[in-house]
Amino acid sequence: MKTFNNKTLMIFLFIVSVTGYIASCTNENEAIPLAATTGPVITRGSNTHLPGNMTVGNSNEWKLDKAHSNVMWSTSYVGAAGLLTGRFNQFGMHEVIDAEMTTYSTAGQPVKDNSWEFNESDPTKTFINGYVQINTSNTGEPGRDAGCNISALGTTAIISGTQNLGITNLAKIKSTEVKLDPLSNDYIVTLSLTWKGTLGAPITKTLVGKLKYIKRATVGTTAAPYDVFGLQLKFQFNCRDFGITSTSISDKIDIECNMNFNNK
Amino acid sequence: MDNSFFAYIQELELIAFFSGFPLIYVVILFASGCFNLKQDFKDRLKQLLSFGYALVGTLYLGLIVRNLYPGYSLETIQNPYLTGWGILAVFFWIPALSKKTMISLMHSLVIFSLLVKNQLMQLISNSPDINMVRNNMKIYNISLILNLGTFSCLLLLTFVLNNFKKR
Repeated sequence: MKTFNNKTLMIFLFIVSVTGYIASCTNENEAIPLAATTGPVITRGSNTHLPGNMTVGNSNEWKLDKAHSNVMWSTSYVGAAGLLTGRFNQFGMHEVIDAEMTTYSTAGQPVKDNSWEFNESDPTKTFINGYVQINTSNTGEPGRDAGCNISALGTTAIISGTQNLGITNLAKIKSTEVKLDPLSNDYIVTLSLTWKGTLGAPITKTLVGKLKYIKRATVGTTAAPYDVFGLQLKFQFNCRDFGITSTSISDKIDIECNMNFNNK
Repeated sequence: MDNSFFAYIQELELIAFFSGFPLIYVVILFASGCFNLKQDFKDRLKQLLSFGYALVGTLYLGLIVRNLYPGYSLETIQNPYLTGWGILAVFFWIPALSKKTMISLMHSLVIFSLLVKNQLMQLISNSPDINMVRNNMKIYNISLILNLGTFSCLLLLTFVLNNFKKR
């Protein structure tokens, strides 16, 4: 009888314990999260921007706002954590042809920034051209910028009041194909970079970059509003291809062009 | 936060110390019944169960004493009757009481019923809190380990002492 009582009690305690364990192991029904999208959400508008004749006051013709644009470069120091960075003080968006490769006595843009078009939804209609004046590279160290950089980059020193688009001082890019980026709102740009560097003659290298469109927006005062938009181009090239030798900086140079336009 | 929270905590302390004893008790008695053990060894096991339970009670008393501080008043104890009931387990050190192992089982079943009550209240409520159910079972696990541990320690101690006596 005693054994029976013990057994009964044991069975009862087991049942109670197991029930408790089962209850504590039961999961509550949780709402199944919504399925993730299979790809990025890409929305493109239908904006088209053309420079036209860059007529002042024509809101359909877009002008490069150089004062609010920049072309920056950066590269790694060999064996160091920091980056060497700089910018080009003089640049533009013009396809500089051979006949235009000369010096200009002006403080402003030597040639019109009109060699580009942008179509938000149809990249086949988009093209860009651009140039920089190599000797205007500005790292914030005048001793370097006007000193060793001049010879290291195979160019000549700045002559005050002169814009030098000569063959030794000009690096230019030209897009050859623009495609939609399937993974973002951006565009994949195939472009050619032409630069002499320290070589005997300019060479052209084909590169791939990424173009971002910063959508058109209205800014300015209420009395005189105007529209702006931006294009940001990023690409990388190997400076050794252009004869640039250095034991202190990397061979890869990252370029970032931030171009702002307005229709004032 | 009112005192009901502290009352609940003190109830959990009791459950942590005593609720595991009934299952340990019946399993050990059942196991000893299954093997051909000598009757006096079975009786010794039973008494060890009571002593083990008394040890658990002493540990519980230690917890209560540890919480004493200057100006401590009995009003701080939210469940005076239950706490007192738990402390009563110390009396199983008394050999005369320890021989009546059924009493220790009855004593622990009172605390075990608290666990059952807590679980049932959660499971039959309109909005059961599964985390509380899980927590109760975790505490029950700890109690099982504690009671098995105290019993094992005393059993080991008994063997060691018997060996010394024989020598």
